[in-house]
Amino acid sequence: MNRFPVEIIISNKPQARDPEGETIARDLVHKEGFHAVKDVRTGKLLAISIEAEDEESARKLAIKMCNDLRLYNPVAHSISVRVEHQI
Amino acid sequence: MISNALQTTLTAEEMQYARNLLGREPTHLEWAMIDAEWSEHCSYKSSKPIISQLPSTGSRVVLGPGYDSGVIDIGNDYVLTLHIESHNHPSAIDPYGGAATGIGGVVRDILCMGTTPIGFLDSLRFGDIKSSDHSKWLLKNVIRGIADYGNCIGVPTIAGEIEFDECFERNCLVDVVCIGVGRKDELLLAEATNAGDSIYLIGGTTGRDGIHGATFASRTLAADADRERSAVQIPDPFTKKLIIEATLEANRRGLLRGCKDLGGGGLSTGLSEIADKGHTGIDVFLDLIPVREPDMTSTEVMISESQERMLLVAKKGCESALRTIMDQYGVSYARIGEVTSTETIKIKRADETLAALPTQFLANAPIINRKANPPTSPRSFGSIPPPDTRKTILELLASPTIASKEWVYSQYDHEVGIRTIGKPGAADAAILALPNGKFAAVKVDGNSKVCHLDPYIGAASVLAECCRNVTAVGAEPAAFLDHCQFGDPNDPDIFGAFSLTVKGLADFAKTINVPCVGGKVSFYNEDAITNRAIKSTPVITVLGLIEKTEHITTMSFKQQGESIIAVGSTKAEFSGSEYFNLLHLDGGHPPQLHFDLEVRTQRTILELIRKGAVKACHDCSNGGLAVALSEMAIKGEIGAEIDLRHLSSSSRDDELLFSESNSRFILTTETPRAVLQHLTDNHIPGVELGKVTGHELNLVLPNHTIRLDLEVLQDAYCTSLGRILEPWQK
Amino acid sequence: MRIAVVQFPGSNCDRDTVHVLSNVLGLDARLIWHRDFEDDSFDAAVLPGGFSFGDHLRAGAIAAHSVAMRTIRKMADQRKPILGICNGFQILIEAGLLPGALLRNSCLRFVCKWTTLQVENPDTPFTCALEKNSKVRMPIAHNEGRFFADAKSLNSLRDSGQIIMRYSNENPTGTTEEIVSVSNWNRNVVGMMPHPERASSPLLGGDDGLKVFKSMMEWTP
Repeated sequence: MNRFPVEIIISNKPQARDPEGETIARDLVHKEGFHAVKDVRTGKLLAISIEAEDEESARKLAIKMCNDLRLYNPVAHSISVRVEHQI
Repeated sequence: MISNALQTTLTAEEMQYARNLLGREPTHLEWAMIDAEWSEHCSYKSSKPIISQLPSTGSRVVLGPGYDSGVIDIGNDYVLTLHIESHNHPSAIDPYGGAATGIGGVVRDILCMGTTPIGFLDSLRFGDIKSSDHSKWLLKNVIRGIADYGNCIGVPTIAGEIEFDECFERNCLVDVVCIGVGRKDELLLAEATNAGDSIYLIGGTTGRDGIHGATFASRTLAADADRERSAVQIPDPFTKKLIIEATLEANRRGLLRGCKDLGGGGLSTGLSEIADKGHTGIDVFLDLIPVREPDMTSTEVMISESQERMLLVAKKGCESALRTIMDQYGVSYARIGEVTSTETIKIKRADETLAALPTQFLANAPIINRKANPPTSPRSFGSIPPPDTRKTILELLASPTIASKEWVYSQYDHEVGIRTIGKPGAADAAILALPNGKFAAVKVDGNSKVCHLDPYIGAASVLAECCRNVTAVGAEPAAFLDHCQFGDPNDPDIFGAFSLTVKGLADFAKTINVPCVGGKVSFYNEDAITNRAIKSTPVITVLGLIEKTEHITTMSFKQQGESIIAVGSTKAEFSGSEYFNLLHLDGGHPPQLHFDLEVRTQRTILELIRKGAVKACHDCSNGGLAVALSEMAIKGEIGAEIDLRHLSSSSRDDELLFSESNSRFILTTETPRAVLQHLTDNHIPGVELGKVTGHELNLVLPNHTIRLDLEVLQDAYCTSLGRILEPWQK
Repeated sequence: MRIAVVQFPGSNCDRDTVHVLSNVLGLDARLIWHRDFEDDSFDAAVLPGGFSFGDHLRAGAIAAHSVAMRTIRKMADQRKPILGICNGFQILIEAGLLPGALLRNSCLRFVCKWTTLQVENPDTPFTCALEKNSKVRMPIAHNEGRFFADAKSLNSLRDSGQIIMRYSNENPTGTTEEIVSVSNWNRNVVGMMPHPERASSPLLGGDDGLKVFKSMMEWTP
């Protein structure tokens, strides 16, 4: 069995507004002159490590965990799951 | 992505009615507008004829039902506004966002009148949190949603109630009330009365979130409710705060003719309602509406329910001043239309007219007369086992509906605004200081267990209890809001219960002479999986006025030696009670309500308070005398010696302690003889129970005595909710 | 004495603060919109509570970049009294005018309740009307009130008398060493999590908060 570092990012669905991201962009980033930065969206990061046979199994397990435990609300949020190479 | 196929909740009859009235086939956009405006949620088509029975006039009423908020005159040129909103369906699938945007919605209604929001109340209903993780999840996130939103905009949540019952497991109820204050000469009516005025859309951009929200609320929850994604709304209290500041300032400077909340049905409903009230028309330029997503259809734009948007009607010539204020606060705005004298809502894109509907048409859905069955008699409840009294008292104090809600209200900033005199939990109603030296007392109440047994008496009892709570703090009830929540109105039993509910409210309101200044009706609180409708749930909010500081009365025992008097009659009435809930007993007739006696009792208590004869006062309701006395002891941190042997002719502990008979108060006084005499003079039963003293509740009952230490009472009452919801915290 | 109460987008205790200063205590206090706050000739300034910029990113993080803070910095250098209440405290920390950091409450919930505080150092413009070790009652209402500083910094703050108030008999937020208020080295800039403007009348629950503002009038640097 191998250990895989997995990053789960929970954020508002792409088609939903992200008021926090908008405020940071408008009232801080653009106000202070970083006009090359076009868009800011925020999210919550869970950095976990999973014991699995391979990357694909680790990924599948992470997604199942997020769904079963309601780590995010599929009505309002989307998740992105990224598996690094094994530790 | 909304398909081009017609998604509608209109019946075939309604569609034909629309065709006949218009004299042609409506366009796709027009159908969408009619669908939204004529949904149950927006039009009250099933309920209008019934709720018109509610009395709505009175010496203090400036505006009754039919406006964004009810308005009460409180003297010295000041008014109070009040409104109730619910977000039941959205909260069932996204409790955080649903509850938060519920707060966002109700505050707009207060703001639209040109008044400053000064307080929220929340009335919530969930399934059994002891056994259901789902209900725990809903409750925690609803509270967090209300807290985050209310705290951020700086409006205190000052009172509330939570009821638990299995019928709410999949259909939670989230009701929020907002109170506002303002000057009478700054009141805004949501009317577009003058042709040439400009319509501004301010706040957030328009996107695809919330499409079909009004119709979502007008259907039962589908089996795949978790996927009802486009009906979810994203809360943004920061933007709301800026909108509040900017709008109030624009109003103070006299720049606005009207202001309209954009809620159910979005722009379509908002525009037609302001034109309808003003007897004018509006031309709307679709291209000028700021949209968040590319390629939105005209339909999507008109019925989107994206949050944090409002319509302002700017007086002709004041547009520039308005824009300066919006710029100062950083509120986005766009001039999207103009008031006309055509009495038509016209939606234009470039040179094309996509919709042209007569204003009167949209805002006046055809009434549906639904079938109402008479009520069935409740079944009998069988026999009641002899109680383990001590155990039952502690279980009642710890039961979620009764237990201290400190876990909840400590998450709400209830002090911001420095008006909160009556803090949550301290008295029967919340108390806010008003700018003219008076005080507002507000309470929200519901009791679905009792209403389920008898909708007529149940509803009247809820209104009575709410008035009782306001009276107990030294206020005279001035007005009420009703929110009637039921299942599918196509079910004649349910519609019958609704009709009786409103009749019960109307009859008692007339007896006590308290007008209804607003309210809501929410049907379709049931779901396709369990096919279970909620129990009848009228939720009532009463607003009262306290004239002088000296009249303010809280429930805690104040000092050693005070006499404790029970006002009213205690009978063996348990149906719908928390005691029966503990015993899993159901059925029977709810406690009687003698309208005249109830009104006379309340008036007499208010007289006694105004005379200065009352030190502490508490109404007697959930959990009966046992809970009322315990709460007074816990809050005061002093005990009492109580003798219940002369309370009634009963010799059963439960009939004395846990009965939920109506029209009762407990008060303390230093002049018991005078108080008892005053009660007798007004033909109201009163019995002296004992004295405030010591550190325990000493209850002398017909067959034995029970002693309950203050610490034991406190432990049961104060820690219960925290233990259920966060068992890992200390 | 002219006092500026700085209003940011999202501040919500600004009017409460001006009311107590002007109407209850009779001081010359006025609300200044952050972008308009350029006049450093005011005698004192208060950054009120609320949710400036929605508390987005971190509480106080965006407001710390406001032009208003340039003026506050100048006033701080001039040793004028500057008080940050709740969100105001958070802004002063983010702007580097006060030491430490304010993190999320350890119970992970917003907490609103009346608390008993102990005055640790009466030698500031906001505590000189109070006795050392005296107890006062004021309400708190916040999500991010857990004061944090590493061991070395804490020692230094203790030694230099920069810890101004602590909770007396409880710790509802898990704040380090029960700390609710700290000052800068010169002790003219003070931040506090509790709300003195809300403890301004017996009818509201107590008026100990008035002494915090009255101290400004008695202060001699």
